[in-house]
Amino acid sequence: MKDKNPLSPHLQIYNWHISSLISISHRIIGIINIIIVTLICIWVAFLLLGSSNYEFVQNFFKTYFGKFLIVGTVWSFSFQILCEIRHLFWDLGFGFELKTSNISGILVIFGSIFLTILILGKNLIQ
Amino acid sequence: MVQINLPENSKIQKGKYYKDKTGSKNIRRVNIYRWDPSTDENPRIDTYEVDMDNCPSKVLDLLNKIKNEIDSSIAYRRSCSHGVCGSCAMNMDGKNGLACTKPHKEIKGDINIYPLPHLKVQKDLIGDLSVLYKQYQSVEPWLKNSKKDKNKENLQSIEDRSKLDGLYECIMCACCSTACPSYWWNGDKYLGPAVLLQAYRWIIDSRDEDRKERLKKVADELKLYRCHTIMNCTNACPKGLNPAKAIAEIKKMLVTG
Repeated sequence: MKDKNPLSPHLQIYNWHISSLISISHRIIGIINIIIVTLICIWVAFLLLGSSNYEFVQNFFKTYFGKFLIVGTVWSFSFQILCEIRHLFWDLGFGFELKTSNISGILVIFGSIFLTILILGKNLIQ
Repeated sequence: MVQINLPENSKIQKGKYYKDKTGSKNIRRVNIYRWDPSTDENPRIDTYEVDMDNCPSKVLDLLNKIKNEIDSSIAYRRSCSHGVCGSCAMNMDGKNGLACTKPHKEIKGDINIYPLPHLKVQKDLIGDLSVLYKQYQSVEPWLKNSKKDKNKENLQSIEDRSKLDGLYECIMCACCSTACPSYWWNGDKYLGPAVLLQAYRWIIDSRDEDRKERLKKVADELKLYRCHTIMNCTNACPKGLNPAKAIAEIKKMLVTG
């Protein structure tokens, strides 16, 4: 085929489905989680260096951005874990029917929010 | 490789507007992707106002009406118009499907019609599927059996035959493969859902004696494992088949032997 022929539009026109949305967010959040794990390592290294650092980190987590980071971290790990469980079922050959995969997709989204609330519990309100 | 934007020569321009001449009160706008290989112009979207009072129910009927009554220069593939041949596969309302089985009533607002995604366009709604056909050839989609006696029936149990249900119905319309983002980015190496479903159809056939070879051939980081279960294929299939599941079955067979 000559180069002259145009490429038909793809991402620009294709509808999003629940399954494709979760698939791409799963990937993006996977990358984000690697960054988060690195940050957690830095945080632990920080604490090892003494009490003044502990206070600094403690104060940081009291800011809105710090709180956002905590909630975000718990949510993104919850989301990834649920996605992976969904993939495990797929690897066993279950849950490929359109209806089932849509339901499991919605479960992943709401489940991750539910898990976040469950893990942080009343600390969320403080 | 992932290339999110369209190349320069594929950017879509605004096209012509064909106003309704019948004076009908029941008008719908139809936007159609157009590209003429005889010019050096970029693709464009032409808009047609169509009188829906005198139009049968499917998108293909709509296209035929436009071609017959408004603009005869528009090009698209079609043949059986009963969802059996797979010629009229295209992207309607952001989803791949067969124009002959898709009712235009299901589409809300303007009707947008594009060729199958991420293909080299030959003209208007006709995409070039030659890469897909080559890949199809590469899985050797025919029965391999050493039985010499050609006069005897090659029997298959009801159970074994039922394993082919949901596979043999595939008409190779390419709706699934061209709906798959993995196939968009790695279409030259990844086989895509349509071809993998066909590969599985021969792997699972109890009469075929080449199962091990077939599995070995398809077990490849790029050919098979670019499937990340995005499920766009199953969502798109106009025959209600499940290529995602077929691919998962191949992966499973490779693990369990």
